[in-house]
Amino acid sequence: MRVAHAAVLLLALAAGCSRGQRDAQAPEPADVVAQSATPQSGTPQSATPQPAPAATPAPSARPAAPRSAREAAPPVAKKPVPAPALDLNALEAQLKETKAIGLFTKITLKNQVDDLLDKFREYYQGKSKVTMADLRRAYDLLMMKVLSLLQDEDQKLASAIVSSREAIWGLLADPIKFATFQG
Amino acid sequence: MNTVTVALARLLLVAAVFAMPSFAADDEEALKKDLTAVIALHGQPCGEVVAVKVLAQDDYAATCKDRNKYHVYLNAAGRVIVEKQK
Repeated sequence: MRVAHAAVLLLALAAGCSRGQRDAQAPEPADVVAQSATPQSGTPQSATPQPAPAATPAPSARPAAPRSAREAAPPVAKKPVPAPALDLNALEAQLKETKAIGLFTKITLKNQVDDLLDKFREYYQGKSKVTMADLRRAYDLLMMKVLSLLQDEDQKLASAIVSSREAIWGLLADPIKFATFQG
Repeated sequence: MNTVTVALARLLLVAAVFAMPSFAADDEEALKKDLTAVIALHGQPCGEVVAVKVLAQDDYAATCKDRNKYHVYLNAAGRVIVEKQK
């Protein structure tokens, strides 16, 4: 039903932003979502566009070997800051699989995620009186709700979300990334 | 041989009869847990859902341990609504 959709939204939110960064790091204990993005310090309030943390994890070290002319042609360095890759299928699978959260609970969480996204949207459109601190509070609260539902029965997913937490916030708190995410 | 088959069939029938309520009970417990979480997510007092009455599909009347009662349902817009009942 919509549960998966709802959960996907939630976890897309949770995992999406951080996915691309995970590969670069040492193998973490499983989890599709947990890509503990490069620890972006606390609350990245403003839209300081971060230097796209090595979206493609250093495959550049290899190409030292002689290549054919065709391969060598495209300059390796300049890549247009690819958006972090989202493995929605994996996320969806995890969410579908988790039995830690019931159907109605998943829908409720999805509702609350949608509400939060609406608040961000209004904030960026200047239609809202809330502050970024308010949004952060709401985000933290929602995360706590999700984690409290997962932590006992699906620790893997819970830890994945925990490790993606700041990265997700980084996505939400950056109007450009947020707009991309929405689009 | 024939009697063995019959006995086996009886055994399976008895097992099925006893197993069915168990599945139903598991489902009901899961539903109570689900509704408990939903009510809590809406910030309503409840403690724990102790009884559920299915009113329709995606439409429940929940009774909490603290005697609060809630109508929990999915509306047309896809939102889960929790209404406190008097």
